[in-house]
Amino acid sequence: MTHTTVRHWADLIAATRLSQWLQDHLWVVPASQSVHIAALSVLFASALFISFRLLSTNAKLRPISVVVPALIPWMRASLVVLLITGTVQTVAEPVRQFVTPAFWSKMCMIVVAVSMTEWFVRSVRRHVERWDDAFHRGKARMFAFASLALWTSIVFCGRFIGYTWERHM
Amino acid sequence: MTAAAVTLSGSLQLLQHSFLGTAVASVPWVFPITETIHVLSLAVVFGSIVMLDLRLVGISSRTGAVSAISHEVLPFTWVAFAVATLSGALLFLSNASGYAANRQFQLKFLFIALAGVNMLAFHLGAYRSVSQWDYRMPPPNAARIAGVLSIVLWLTIIVFGRWTGYTMSGE
Repeated sequence: MTHTTVRHWADLIAATRLSQWLQDHLWVVPASQSVHIAALSVLFASALFISFRLLSTNAKLRPISVVVPALIPWMRASLVVLLITGTVQTVAEPVRQFVTPAFWSKMCMIVVAVSMTEWFVRSVRRHVERWDDAFHRGKARMFAFASLALWTSIVFCGRFIGYTWERHM
Repeated sequence: MTAAAVTLSGSLQLLQHSFLGTAVASVPWVFPITETIHVLSLAVVFGSIVMLDLRLVGISSRTGAVSAISHEVLPFTWVAFAVATLSGALLFLSNASGYAANRQFQLKFLFIALAGVNMLAFHLGAYRSVSQWDYRMPPPNAARIAGVLSIVLWLTIIVFGRWTGYTMSGE
């Protein structure tokens, strides 16, 4: 997509009544951002927790087959909250979001991270015994590091939208 | 101004004009990177504490022992809290007198203190007899109240933190 097409779409969204309403009610965006941070905390801490569990050799910790089903519903719920609050913030300030490479990188990485986690959850459900003593396996390590790197980069990009958009105008 | 207020304002100015203070404020990208590290670490603080709080309330990880979950989760909380404190201190140095005078910033610290009091009260109170209620469902009221209070207090801290950033940078 060229820069002008992206700007065109951003301007169309900015002209909608919903966007206008959000722009007139300045408290909504910071309020939405606070909920966004609370939800990303649940998702990020859960991902970190699962990754450390995959990398750990400590037999006293609860097994993967217990930890993952306990955390996944909370991760899914927080992802829904993140998508809703993220949409609110994008509709309120579409230009700010659409002009930054940080925003588009973030969106791409979210798709990868979410698909990867879905694959992981399905695999855990199907082959519990393999993941439960999987600490020596390359797959578990790779998933753990990739997941951590992706979620960390997603948070970085999210914060950097606010710091870089003016130079892309 | 009283003598104490003069000393305080002088010290804040000193901090702000210290090497670290000016570095965070003026070297390109240092502030945004420090702030992102602050967000990542606070995410782990809140996310991990919520895992334990939800167990204390009795709605998550219901089959696991409270003490076991506490031992698994709290190391993450404390390491992340240390990183959040360090990164937060750097952000503070960049504009010490501005933050110190900011109402939202002051309220944030009031609520961090309250969260600390809640944690201390729980650890010196209900948690001492945890072996007796490690698996009890629902957990005792003292634990459930501490869990709910902790979630509410930390959410308030996040709101005042975000609000501080909004009022300070004029985003």
